[in-house]
Amino acid sequence: MMLSIILSGFLVATFLLVVAKRITALIRSFRIQAIFLSLYALYMGLSQRHLEMFIVCGLIFVLKAIVIPFVLLRIIRRINVEEDLGLLVNPQLSLIIALGFTYLSYLFAHNAMALTDPVESAALAVSITVVCLGFFIMVSRMKAVAQIIGLLVMENGIFLAASAISGGMPFFVEIAFFFDIFVFVIIIEVFVYKVNRLFTHIDTSKMKSLKG
Amino acid sequence: MINFLPKQLFFFDPLAVFFLVVIGLVCVPSAIFSIGYLRAESLKRKILSWVLLIIFAFSMCSVVLSGNMLLFLICWEVMSLVSYFLVVFDFKQEKSIRAGIIYLVMTHAGTACLMAAFFILYNHAGSFDYAAVKQSFMLLTPQLRNIIFLLLFIGFATKAGVVPLHIWLPYAHPQAPAHISSIMSGVMIKVGIYGMMRFFITLLGPGPAWWGAFILALGIVSCLVGVIYALMDHDLKKLLAYHSVENIGIILLGLGTAMFFGSRGKTVVAVLAMCAGLYHLVNHALFKGLLFLCSGSVFKASGLRDMEKMGGLIKKMPMTALFFLIGAMGISALPPLNGFVSEWLTFQAFFSGVLESQGWVKIFMVLSAAALAMTSGLAAACFVKAFGISFLGSPRSVRAQDAKECGFSMKAGMALLAIPVILFGIGAGFIMPILLSISRAALGVEKADISVRLLSVLPAMIAVILLVIGSAVFLWFRFGLRNKRVSYNTWDCGYYSLDSRNEYTATAFSKPFRIAFSFFLLPYRKSEKIRDSFYHVRKFTYETHTTSVFKRFLYEPLLRLIYSTAFKMRKLQPGSIHLYIFYIFATLVGLITIAAIF
Repeated sequence: MMLSIILSGFLVATFLLVVAKRITALIRSFRIQAIFLSLYALYMGLSQRHLEMFIVCGLIFVLKAIVIPFVLLRIIRRINVEEDLGLLVNPQLSLIIALGFTYLSYLFAHNAMALTDPVESAALAVSITVVCLGFFIMVSRMKAVAQIIGLLVMENGIFLAASAISGGMPFFVEIAFFFDIFVFVIIIEVFVYKVNRLFTHIDTSKMKSLKG
Repeated sequence: MINFLPKQLFFFDPLAVFFLVVIGLVCVPSAIFSIGYLRAESLKRKILSWVLLIIFAFSMCSVVLSGNMLLFLICWEVMSLVSYFLVVFDFKQEKSIRAGIIYLVMTHAGTACLMAAFFILYNHAGSFDYAAVKQSFMLLTPQLRNIIFLLLFIGFATKAGVVPLHIWLPYAHPQAPAHISSIMSGVMIKVGIYGMMRFFITLLGPGPAWWGAFILALGIVSCLVGVIYALMDHDLKKLLAYHSVENIGIILLGLGTAMFFGSRGKTVVAVLAMCAGLYHLVNHALFKGLLFLCSGSVFKASGLRDMEKMGGLIKKMPMTALFFLIGAMGISALPPLNGFVSEWLTFQAFFSGVLESQGWVKIFMVLSAAALAMTSGLAAACFVKAFGISFLGSPRSVRAQDAKECGFSMKAGMALLAIPVILFGIGAGFIMPILLSISRAALGVEKADISVRLLSVLPAMIAVILLVIGSAVFLWFRFGLRNKRVSYNTWDCGYYSLDSRNEYTATAFSKPFRIAFSFFLLPYRKSEKIRDSFYHVRKFTYETHTTSVFKRFLYEPLLRLIYSTAFKMRKLQPGSIHLYIFYIFATLVGLITIAAIF
């Protein structure tokens, strides 16, 4: 019961990401999603009585719910761009597409994997949806921040998928992942800053002009 | 563990040693020639040239001596790359770069086919060694064997310059320095033939009869196409390059016949044909090397490659003219010289092939003999043009007027090739037994009854007869007609004061052939008039050209196809990051959909 609530919350947070029109809204929705993910890890830790899971939960909370949103919000404030994300697909249509993906993922989890436990099956469906929607955010939003968030969302989805199917990846792999993500965000922050300084925008759709 | 490293590194058998001798015969004189040819270059470029030349020669030696496919491939690639650098040795000329690119593309397309074939062979033999390949090849299915044959043939034929893969020769050979053209045309394209002999005869042979017939047919096409294009070209080195195509065709006639009859068990004919092919191979190496060196000597002396601007060079450069004449007589297969012997042998092979076969094979052999006869006739005509227009008559340009005889080292290089041209003709009786034993070893035949008695006396006899008749005629003209001798200007035809602008030209000489082969050459004219008024034409230009059929109907459509496909592919990459991510996304969703449904 508890797990279903957490998974639903996770999915709803992802939908929030999809319909977000402003950069700050996107980052805040990502924070909500990360909190639900850490709750999921906490639940897994409690039910399986694994110390490692608690550490993972803490890392998720600190890194994804606090540090990364903070870093991203700071860079947004520093480069002082307009709030608009630059949507290639409007929120209403995005939501419909997102629902389509959810159904597709459900079918996939149901048919392809044939998991016996319905909750596990649902977790897999949710995780695949999240990966797809992360991709979708990367494709259909213009500003570079959306591409960063999209990638992080996908990473969240993969984490959920791994723990849904196999009960979590090995501890060291998880730690390495967090470290990767952290470094990625730091580098991207610098990068976005430089790009903005050079081109006075962070609009990836305008990068076509770089083509020779 | 796969035994990746081959057991046998080098492999000395009669065939390999024969090619080693051919390489030495051409490379040494060319190297000597290059001393004089590169005299004007800076020290740095001289050193570069020598280093490249030595690597080139050694890579060719290692190709023919290698005992496994891996070493073969490595040396083959080194050879191709070094020869590319030698082609673009005059890198400041845009033509050289262009020629180099064409050569590089063609040779690598060929090498790609070779690699494919070698890896298929390796896959089945489990080793790169020739011995293992030979054993395992018999166990393969016929289809796979045919595929391997075709791949290997394309690879070697590209290097050898067999029509329609000859396209690079007329670009690359003229642009390289003369001594390099001499080695490339004399030896490097022969390494392609070596590959065919090594693989189709000693390793993978005897294959099905159609392999031999296929090579024979392409040989016929090559020799005719090569000589017809050579007749039309008035650039001396380009003409020689087209003659290489022709002579490779003649060598393939021997090789194809040998393979054809080898697969039918007619060993005597096979040995004879193989012998003819080998003989023509060494002959072509000699006289083509010589002719390229002569063209280099002319180029160094006058800066000219276009025959229409030469003329009268025999008076300025008598030694070069003599060497060119010897080479031209050799390549035209005139009796006492070496070309005659090998073409005569090829005819012999065809005729004994006719006697040994029935039905359509008889007709095929007769037609091949007819094609060879026509080729030698046209080649003779072509060298009448080449020698007559460039060396006889009176100079057609200031540069030809000012030409000077070349230095000692260049003469020595040419002489070292000219003497064997004569020796290989008159001394055929000594050469033949050696070549027969090489052919027997290559074909794996214990004994083949072939008499060389006629051959050992025939060229010498003809030489004596020619000498007697020639001196008789000379004496008669010199002393018998004393009172009737009148001196005019050169090629004056008994008129007075005709100058070089009235002379017979190469274009005029080749006109009958242009008309006779117009179905293939597709000649066209271009004229342009610049007029002041209707009545007064200030300038009138008139050009005739021939269409290069292979370029126009094979290579240009191919290139257009590649370019148009590339332009269509370019639309997939508009530079939008969103689209690129979308491609990944679409693939993922597609996969999920497929997995969800099935």
